[in-house]
Amino acid sequence: MSSPLAPSRRTLVAGAGGAALAGAGGAVVHAAAPAAAARSTYAPATYAATPVLPAAQRHLVSRFSYGLTPALAAQVRRSGGAAAWFEKQLRPSAVADGMPSGFGSWWPSLSRGPKELWDRQAQEVEGGWVVMQNYQRWVLMRRTFTQRQVAEVMTEFWENHFNVPVNGDLAFTHRAAYGSVVRARALGRFEDLLLAVTTHPAMLIYLDGARSTKARPNENLARELLELHTVGRGTYGEDDVKASARILTGWWVDLFGSWEAGYRTEAHATGPVRVMDFADDNASPDGRDLTRRYLSHLAHHPATAARICRKLALKFVSDEPSEALVASLARVYLANDTAIVPVLRALVASAEFRGSAGRKVRDPGEDVVATYRALGLKVGPPTQGDAAVNAMLWQVANLGTTPLAWPRPDGAPLTGDAWSSPSRVLASFEAHWVLAGGWWPKVGVTYRRPPAWVPRFPITFRLLVDHLSRTVLQRPSTAALLEACCLATGIAPGERITRDHHLVRWNMHRLLATLLDSPAHLTR
Amino acid sequence: MTADPVGGAAPCCDEYARLSRRGLFRSAALLGATATFGSAVVTTSGSAPAAAATRSARNVLVVLSLRGACDGLNLVVPHADPAYYTARKRIGVPKERLLAVDDMFGLHPALAPLLPLWDSGRLAAVHATGLPAPNRSHFSAMEEIEDADPGSAVRSGWLNRFLGADSYTSPLQGVHVGGGVPPASMYGAHDVMSARNVDSVGIAGDDQWVVDDGRKRSLDLLWRGNAGPLGRTVRSSFAAVADFAPVHAVPSGPRNGARYPQGDLGSAMKEVARVLRGDVGVEVVTVDHGDWDMHSDMGNLEWGRMRSNTTELAEAVAAFFTDLGPAAANVTLVTLSEFGRRVRENDNWGTDHGFGNVMFLAGAGVRGGRYHGRWPGLTDAPDADLLVTTDYRSVLSEVVSRRFGTSSAQVFPGFSPETVGVMA
Repeated sequence: MSSPLAPSRRTLVAGAGGAALAGAGGAVVHAAAPAAAARSTYAPATYAATPVLPAAQRHLVSRFSYGLTPALAAQVRRSGGAAAWFEKQLRPSAVADGMPSGFGSWWPSLSRGPKELWDRQAQEVEGGWVVMQNYQRWVLMRRTFTQRQVAEVMTEFWENHFNVPVNGDLAFTHRAAYGSVVRARALGRFEDLLLAVTTHPAMLIYLDGARSTKARPNENLARELLELHTVGRGTYGEDDVKASARILTGWWVDLFGSWEAGYRTEAHATGPVRVMDFADDNASPDGRDLTRRYLSHLAHHPATAARICRKLALKFVSDEPSEALVASLARVYLANDTAIVPVLRALVASAEFRGSAGRKVRDPGEDVVATYRALGLKVGPPTQGDAAVNAMLWQVANLGTTPLAWPRPDGAPLTGDAWSSPSRVLASFEAHWVLAGGWWPKVGVTYRRPPAWVPRFPITFRLLVDHLSRTVLQRPSTAALLEACCLATGIAPGERITRDHHLVRWNMHRLLATLLDSPAHLTR
Repeated sequence: MTADPVGGAAPCCDEYARLSRRGLFRSAALLGATATFGSAVVTTSGSAPAAAATRSARNVLVVLSLRGACDGLNLVVPHADPAYYTARKRIGVPKERLLAVDDMFGLHPALAPLLPLWDSGRLAAVHATGLPAPNRSHFSAMEEIEDADPGSAVRSGWLNRFLGADSYTSPLQGVHVGGGVPPASMYGAHDVMSARNVDSVGIAGDDQWVVDDGRKRSLDLLWRGNAGPLGRTVRSSFAAVADFAPVHAVPSGPRNGARYPQGDLGSAMKEVARVLRGDVGVEVVTVDHGDWDMHSDMGNLEWGRMRSNTTELAEAVAAFFTDLGPAAANVTLVTLSEFGRRVRENDNWGTDHGFGNVMFLAGAGVRGGRYHGRWPGLTDAPDADLLVTTDYRSVLSEVVSRRFGTSSAQVFPGFSPETVGVMA
């Protein structure tokens, strides 16, 4: 890996390059001047009429939303600042949802019951995979347009933690309902969430709990419950996995029948069980209360507290949260009977959180959603196959994964290295480019026309870049950003932009893509 | 500056301009045609100096990861071990249906597309391979297998250490092909490339209307000095994209009558063949195939996930070697899975997490048409595993040392490999 060049050398080299090319008929971008002069050439201007949030507020809101927009920033200001906005968001029922009217009926199958969904697939009316793609689209739309941003972010976090991939063979029958169960508890107590998901038919189907037997308890759900959902590796052994599997026997789903979930006492493996320091006589054939006690024990286990809090810190602080932060969050978690909200409050109040601005890489879903938001795209219902709301899912797929489709029970990675592969970076640039140009999708979406990006005519390029930086990136422009915009468009900083300027007529996408391809947009 | 052979494009990206320009120059030379670089249009006669930043691959290693822990006992069936059939009354593969049968083993019938490779001595299996001790967590076992340097705090994958063992630094030396994220084996100090397919490799907006190479210079400026993982990738991708150009010139679509199966694996292997034809110095390719985690519905020869996954695997690998034809002469493919599955079937037509497994090796240098490894014998007990008699690193050591002359110590520090005899 090469070390970055010093700025002075960069500008010198760039200056020389510009001078060399001027003779070849290219646009003169740089003066062949000393470094100091080159720097002053790109001094940023301030378009004060376009307000931005203070940096610390921007940080809080961008971590706990799918991307700042001028409208969201205005909402934050009206709430009395980011801290007050955050507090209000923690009670989502008090926030207007803001989804388009009629959104609830865009995909009727998302509210059909499991048997109907199965029958429709069996009769070749509608495949389960179609329903699941539409569930992914429903989720992407919510992320893009709901005003309950914190609740949406936390729903994604838990739906990923308790991952039931949407592309499973049978789990589609219960998958959208599973999402609702998570959503309703995303800001509640971890214990309640754990009980709801572990005994949910979607999870029971995915990790084979639905068919576990007394004679040979299936270890799949039992192991991932310990390894992934709660305490994590290093705290239990293989005998604990086996006992965990015995505890969970009895829960089932009437597969290929009614598809309803239930409990069969005749399938529950009775007899004493011990999982780490949880022990029980397990005498009753009805093991439901045993399951509750077991899951409650796991939810309150210090290893679970540390594991959950570390994951929250990975998502919302940095890829390498300190042990001290994790430990202090874990104390809050345990002191509050596994309630999530106090942990989030402690997290955002920490110095480590405040010092972590821009450290998180946006993953594929976050990138595409933030791009739709930053460009102010309006998306309509799925009236035809290539409508934007359908195409959006393929755009995310090109970046390496789609929402809720990570094919393993551990959930999609939360760290930046996973989402920094060359294929992801190139795909992000591609997605930004086609959306900035409004080339695809074409149907069911409204793009802002190029002149609408310009606050007044005429305007110098330097001022326009600052206005757009404030609009798209929610921060003032810098010299580096201005120079990058000049390079991308071949326009000089002081150039006057009129309605007839080539930027407005043909090249606005080059300017917008430059903003979207910048670190400010690809990180949060 | 104006003496630059590609027309004086400004050296925006000084630290990697050397690679980029040469790579482009090379592709132009190969095409003997016109190529664009920023605003500069370059025409070459095809007789320009062969100053390539990429070299031709010495050899190629394709690592195909079978995610989810595949069931090696049904892929390569120990039909002569009596415990096999008592432990697997429903899912066991009958001896009379096995292929390439010897005294001890036979192949799952769905591997039939691979028989020509087996019969011509280009496909082998090593049984009872795996980690030194059981690790029944998918995620931890994958990390362990792919890091392959126990005790080291540095997160570097064995393939990345292999790529770093020589002085060649092109990010195209190692490429992950297909969707998802590159495996842990590729993480490390050596820059690598990834591509979901050939056509997606390019910088959007770096088109014929760009003034003064402004698109790339702009991106370079935005990301220069960015200390995060994205910054490093943006920098390495510029060189990789330019050097990748010859691959775009390779017509898409299989050759030699190869027919890839539907699905992600077939699509990925088809792209791998195209990448290798491009001759841009790719020596390591990683491809992932899932989902082999069959706690239920593995099924038998008439139905189930084992049959369909095995068919897809066999058809894709067979098509890959058919597609490459003579170009496969330096290509070795290895399959790897994080662990194997229990000996005894469970109550759901499946198997739970086990230990030992089988590895397949195909192509150049493989002593094929036979089963390698030492058979430990099976036990039919509730928790019995196939035991490991060959550390998987011994197999991989043999591949990297015989095919590339790279010492095992560089790739697997502190590990003393045993001779397996699977590589000539």
